[in-house]
Amino acid sequence: MLDYVGLEADLDAEERMIRDTARDFVDETVRPDVGEHWIEGTFPTDLIEKMGDLGFYAPNLEGYGLPGVSETAYGLLMQELEACDSGLRSMASVQGALVMYPIHAFGSEEQKEEWLPKLGTGEAVGCFGLTEPEHGSDPSSMTTHAESEDDGYVLNGAKTWITNSPIADVAVVWARDRSADDSPVRGFLVETDRDGVSTNKIDEKLSLRASITGEIGLNDVYVPEENVLPEVSGMKGPLSCLTQARYGIAWGAIGAARDCFETARQYATDREQFGGPIARFQLQQQKLAEMATQITTSQLLAHRLADLKERGEMTPQHVSMAKRNNVRMARDQSRIAREMLGGNGITADYSPMRHMANLETVYTYEGTHDIHTLVLGQDLTGFAAFEQ
Amino acid sequence: MKILVTVKEVAEAEDDFEIDGLDIDERYLEYDLNEWDDYAVEEAVTIAEDGDDVEVVSVTIGPERAEETVRMALAKGVDRAIRVWDDDLESADMLDVGTKADILAAVVEEEDPDLVFSGVQANDDGFGATGVALAEVVDMEWGAVVNDLDLDAEGGVAHVHRELEGGVEELTDIELPAVLTIQTGINEPRYASLRGIRQAQRKPLDVQGLGDLGLDASVLESAVSRTAMFEPESESDVTVFEGGAEEEAGQLADLLRDKGVVEG
Repeated sequence: MLDYVGLEADLDAEERMIRDTARDFVDETVRPDVGEHWIEGTFPTDLIEKMGDLGFYAPNLEGYGLPGVSETAYGLLMQELEACDSGLRSMASVQGALVMYPIHAFGSEEQKEEWLPKLGTGEAVGCFGLTEPEHGSDPSSMTTHAESEDDGYVLNGAKTWITNSPIADVAVVWARDRSADDSPVRGFLVETDRDGVSTNKIDEKLSLRASITGEIGLNDVYVPEENVLPEVSGMKGPLSCLTQARYGIAWGAIGAARDCFETARQYATDREQFGGPIARFQLQQQKLAEMATQITTSQLLAHRLADLKERGEMTPQHVSMAKRNNVRMARDQSRIAREMLGGNGITADYSPMRHMANLETVYTYEGTHDIHTLVLGQDLTGFAAFEQ
Repeated sequence: MKILVTVKEVAEAEDDFEIDGLDIDERYLEYDLNEWDDYAVEEAVTIAEDGDDVEVVSVTIGPERAEETVRMALAKGVDRAIRVWDDDLESADMLDVGTKADILAAVVEEEDPDLVFSGVQANDDGFGATGVALAEVVDMEWGAVVNDLDLDAEGGVAHVHRELEGGVEELTDIELPAVLTIQTGINEPRYASLRGIRQAQRKPLDVQGLGDLGLDASVLESAVSRTAMFEPESESDVTVFEGGAEEEAGQLADLLRDKGVVEG
């Protein structure tokens, strides 16, 4: 795949091997059928444990059987997965960054020992419940709440747009604890087989079709005290998870864009019109030149972000900039790639239009593009445009 | 029990390439673990996982670049690796089967394995003889083109299926110690896990020169030399069938009848 300024030449041996293994795995076991899954609106669930066996979930964390690879290696993995399909990367992002990360960072020792090994191998599937039907960009006004009762809590509320909720064994649910002063947001580990939990599937999506999405309904769901994530209180909990996941998205989007670029470049050199390959025309060359430049600058941002994260200097605002820029880039360039493929580009035989449709989801999930703009605006000016 | 797996980093040329002297221009080459050796590694690692106290050692002859390939074998579960290389090997024009067999034989003598697995052939130069030649030098039993293996470690016997010409299979028992050349399809090679890749960076990878193995540059003398490199002219015609599966099948049937392959 395109690496115009040779960024990957500076990877260490371990990072290169992780990239190559992920690429081979995706090429041989996922890519051949992913278009079919996308059309059918199904996720290849047999991959869940296969990816777990390979250590694709939260590999940048340490302990509990997790390999603890570098942030660059983790980014490269997300990139290779999303080069296949955003749904595949979303599976790994949710399991790793949104479910395993909060348990690892904020969980009790018992919670870590119970959940991290089986989430890591894919034996158990997790989901992350933050967004509500009436509360998307403004999650702190959530209405899902917990009341203290019988050495535990009773949860009520509804969450939506939850990747993997219909197949999840456990949900990390963020809810306001009304029994405590100021009703702080707390994290609850809710096993989905508890009485009062429903996980309806959302069908007929026009984007991210090879990914399972649903709701979480909580109707007087009792969880014991030991299911509360003890080490975090307030919006810092869910927001810190999202920073982890968005880091993976900033990398993943480049993968989708690179796949679009390579498909378009190959097509342009193979496709003959007016007596020769269309790649000899300036209009096509301009598109490829622009696409390559945009991909390369996004790559630079991702590699720098990895360095900052590795040394503990990455801020949520850095991640906002990278997520915002790289997803927009991928969304725009996938459309150009589709266009270069002409009529062939609207079929599932080629990846660009599938990526293009997927990226509509990626553009507005995990913080919409516009909200990331305001996060940067606040950081640059000191004024928060989203506060009244 | 100890299993030695010989692995090779092979060059793969891009679809379009240029020839530079007696070789394909380096710009068009990529390097990877030889496909057959991947199956040999998998077979050895599976035996190690299923058995007690089985050590798997892999050996390669190759420059420093080949370490990445060897590390991939370590990531898949090989315990340690040996890479044979020095200035004499670096300056050799080519390594023929005899040379490789002699070098690998020195490693076999040092390691004293119960089993040696080698890929049937390498998918770059494709001599397809190193494993058997090695058995001859070290005077071990051997089985070539093994596509099924049932090892009786206690009895010291390998029950194998060997692929012969014309779709015929030979079922035979081979006494250990032995060299088996492993055919693709004998198993399903695994992907290295991220944990395995991490561990591989810390596993021993020992570099040995000819002198360390009790050999000298005379082992490189060869009766074989490369005299030319060229791309063969394509002489065959291509017929592209078009239509649905049924139509295409009909067109193929007509062609086979025309050519006299089938009657009627």
